[in-house]
Amino acid sequence: MNNTPQTKRDFLKYVLGAGVLAWLASVVYPVLAYLKPPKQGEVEVTTVKVGPLSAIPKESGEIVRFGTKPVILIRTAEGDVRAFAATCTHLDCTVQFRKDLGVIWCACHNGKYDLSGRNIAGPPPRPLDPYRVVIQDGDVLLSKKS
Amino acid sequence: MSTLGKKLYRWVDDRVHLGDLIEFMGKKYVPVHRGSIWYYFGGVTLFLFLIQVITGILLLLYYKGSEDLAFESIQFLMSKVSFGWLIRSVHSWSANLFILAAFIHMFSVFFEKSYRPPREMTWLSGMFMLFLGFGFGFSGYLLPWNELAFFATKVGTDIAGVIPLVGKPMMIFLRGGEDVTGATLSRFFGFHVAVLPGLFTVLLGIHLLLVQRQGMSEPLGAEDSPAADKKTMPFFPNFLLRDLLFWLIVLNVLAILAVFFPWELGQKADAFAPAPAGIRPEWYFLFMFQTLKYLPAQLWIVDGEVLGILLFALAGILWTLVPFWDRKSAKGQQSRIITYVGIGAIVYILVFTILGWLF
Amino acid sequence: MLARLLTFLAVTLVTVPAARAADECLVCHSALGDTPSTMYPGDIHYRKGISCSGCHGGNPESSDPERAMDTTAGFIGVPRGNAISTACARCHSNAAQMKRWNSSVPTGQLEQLQASVHGKLSIEGRDRIAQCTSCHGVHQITAVGSPKSPVYPSNVVTTCARCHNNAVYIRSYNPSLPVDQLEKYRTSVHGIRNAKGDPKTAECASCHGSHGILSAKDVKSSVYPTNIPSTCERCHADPGYMKEYGIATDQYAKYAKSVHGVALLQKNDLGAPACNSCHGNHGAAPPGVESVSKVCGTCHALNADLFSASPHKKAFDERHLPECETCHGNHAIIVATDKLLGVSPEAVCSRCHSTADFPRGYRVAATMRALIDSLETSEAIADSLVENAEQKGMEIGEAKYKLREIRQARLESRTMVHSFNEEKFDAVVTKGLTVAAWVGGEARNALAEYVFRRIGLGVSTLIITVLAVALWLFIRRLERKQVREETVTNNSSIS
Repeated sequence: MNNTPQTKRDFLKYVLGAGVLAWLASVVYPVLAYLKPPKQGEVEVTTVKVGPLSAIPKESGEIVRFGTKPVILIRTAEGDVRAFAATCTHLDCTVQFRKDLGVIWCACHNGKYDLSGRNIAGPPPRPLDPYRVVIQDGDVLLSKKS
Repeated sequence: MSTLGKKLYRWVDDRVHLGDLIEFMGKKYVPVHRGSIWYYFGGVTLFLFLIQVITGILLLLYYKGSEDLAFESIQFLMSKVSFGWLIRSVHSWSANLFILAAFIHMFSVFFEKSYRPPREMTWLSGMFMLFLGFGFGFSGYLLPWNELAFFATKVGTDIAGVIPLVGKPMMIFLRGGEDVTGATLSRFFGFHVAVLPGLFTVLLGIHLLLVQRQGMSEPLGAEDSPAADKKTMPFFPNFLLRDLLFWLIVLNVLAILAVFFPWELGQKADAFAPAPAGIRPEWYFLFMFQTLKYLPAQLWIVDGEVLGILLFALAGILWTLVPFWDRKSAKGQQSRIITYVGIGAIVYILVFTILGWLF
Repeated sequence: MLARLLTFLAVTLVTVPAARAADECLVCHSALGDTPSTMYPGDIHYRKGISCSGCHGGNPESSDPERAMDTTAGFIGVPRGNAISTACARCHSNAAQMKRWNSSVPTGQLEQLQASVHGKLSIEGRDRIAQCTSCHGVHQITAVGSPKSPVYPSNVVTTCARCHNNAVYIRSYNPSLPVDQLEKYRTSVHGIRNAKGDPKTAECASCHGSHGILSAKDVKSSVYPTNIPSTCERCHADPGYMKEYGIATDQYAKYAKSVHGVALLQKNDLGAPACNSCHGNHGAAPPGVESVSKVCGTCHALNADLFSASPHKKAFDERHLPECETCHGNHAIIVATDKLLGVSPEAVCSRCHSTADFPRGYRVAATMRALIDSLETSEAIADSLVENAEQKGMEIGEAKYKLREIRQARLESRTMVHSFNEEKFDAVVTKGLTVAAWVGGEARNALAEYVFRRIGLGVSTLIITVLAVALWLFIRRLERKQVREETVTNNSSIS
């Protein structure tokens, strides 16, 4: 007679204890996950590290992701590094470097920009927006021009 | 494990005499009667306030209180930070539930006339906390810097500016200038996370201290009945456990609301954009907003809006001071008029809030 | 001395034609037989009764050369540099004075000249490069409307060319300025008619203005890109003026509404073509049928290249169809939409391709349209999925980034239409469709993750519920026990 409530109460205690623990877990887990800084540490991407300068050959151009926008990183034959928004000012296609033409070229409508980002041929109405390039300890860093 | 716990307990007990506290709580009894359920709403309000504090601190880790970044930082919080959406949603929902619980708590106290002596100070501190709660709501609404909040704040501070003499300086003080700008945002942010919480904590301390000191109020007339007839339950552990039970239920409701009705962020505020359709303040201001809308522009010789605001201010003051003019309850007699006033207030608030929602 | 000079000026300048006395300057100089005096009787100023002294100063009433050409009496000899124009402006910039000579010629030319490109450029920092006499001549100046005037329409082109055709001269002021305007002009419709003596067709001044000519790079210039259409419009949109030439006058109205007109006139996009971009400026003429694609191709190079390599090139040439224009129109050209493609009633392909004539083209047109439509739909779906996922607070930056590629493929496919080659077109569209499928998949995953969150919520709700129920049971148990203990103590106290 004494046995039943005893076991029942023990069981209840287990449920309570386990429940409290599970509940704590379900609160602590989101909070901890929330506290962990996200991959993209800032509200807006302001700087992107591209990699070592030595890895970028002369007379080349590559597309680098800058937040959700593409940026074209140009290294001239002289070794200068420049960066521009890789979004064509005509209809927002992504531009590319054409070594054979020596220009930044848009495949959509044959728009051309010189390596200073100036629109030189085709439909683009404006030059490409420049980005700031900083070489720090041999690494290429991109940032928005303020 | 348990011996370690006992050791720790004894160590603390030696220094602060926990035993006294437990004895005090154990001897404290909560009256059991028809309206006992209303006692829990004070606890629920407290619980929601605690949630506000915790989620608020969490939000503070990512929020940026500037015109350029406020909206973007919330957007970032909701999309990039894991569970950011949940924390923000919980904060918004629990803010609303907090006001709701505070309203219920206040009306239950009002109808039970529990504000009668010797609990006038408890009532006053509670009313001030409710006003601070409105302040929290009003200032917090602007912080995401979205279109709706921007215009609601504009309208809200405009209304404050209508009050004769003090209105204009008050509006400029609130806005930090002539218009709602980034300066207003900085100000509201400061109020929301520093000024209001500080004041609130002091009042809350007084309020809780008074409740513990004076115990729960009994219904009118119950004092006269013989002690043997009174049903009671110990505050610890019976009442406290029930409190916990209520808190769990509220937490469940909150979680469901936060996940299934996530708080929208809307569009970023643009001072030059035309005001969007359907600007309305938070629901707890809606009945006042709606009344002001219905008042004619000119009432007798005064401006309708000014009159409305003054009447609301007067009503608020009278309501707050009810322990001092309700003589009947103070003498321990049933006061029908007060009950009718309370019912009238509830009906008025309900009707105008619904009208505000519909139109 | 000053008073004397003023009296003298008053006497010389206010010489009224009616009171014409013998002009001793002319009497003497004619006897000498020098060129100016021989020419001067043909000058409009002579006929108005203005003496040599009107410009040169001195006393025309004295036959004594010493007295007549006394510098102290105001004789200035042959004016040089800016002094030439100043002498002209004494009357020509003074409306009251002009009225006295019974002239209806407008005034203020010198002021306009000073503000013009010819007035701003100078020789050795002192004198303007052009004076009144540079264009209007000297000693035999005639009314502008006279066919003998160097600024009369048929003469003005050679007058301007005197300097503008001179590479050596122009180089010293603006080395990048071309010097072949006249040559080109002679090939233009305007130039050919002008050479035949038609004074109504455009010459230099019609477009560039006269006294107040501004550099073409000056935004206020009538030939600045954004001003060109309205400059041409002045004649070409005037039905009365154009009547005898038998050409349409609605080009400007059409152009202003066209994609090019909107870009140039409303969006101020200087890259957009004005009239001269297609027709030429000095050598203005409508482009020939064969050259249409080359003219359009100066900007729309890719489309033109693709077209030239396509089977349509030969077909169009054989049928004398102007290339781009046949499908896109000319002045009223609007933004090309996908509707142009295919075999539906508003599509242009079906104008030539029907199931009976050229059935293969008909089929390809229909296929291409179907492909581009499916790409557009895929893009719209991917777009809305990504937006939906983003709205729900899901991190989907990579997919959003890739959305641009779908758009790009769609734009490229629209260019690729001009190859009229099913395979090439299909390749571009497939590229877009592949990306669209990937983006859509990512977005769907993100949305599935959102559902998963609700499951997570379900679990925690369940935990809380179990906890609440257990707590309730615990309270009941506790209170029962309390009641039991109470009864036990009560019973024991009774006993």
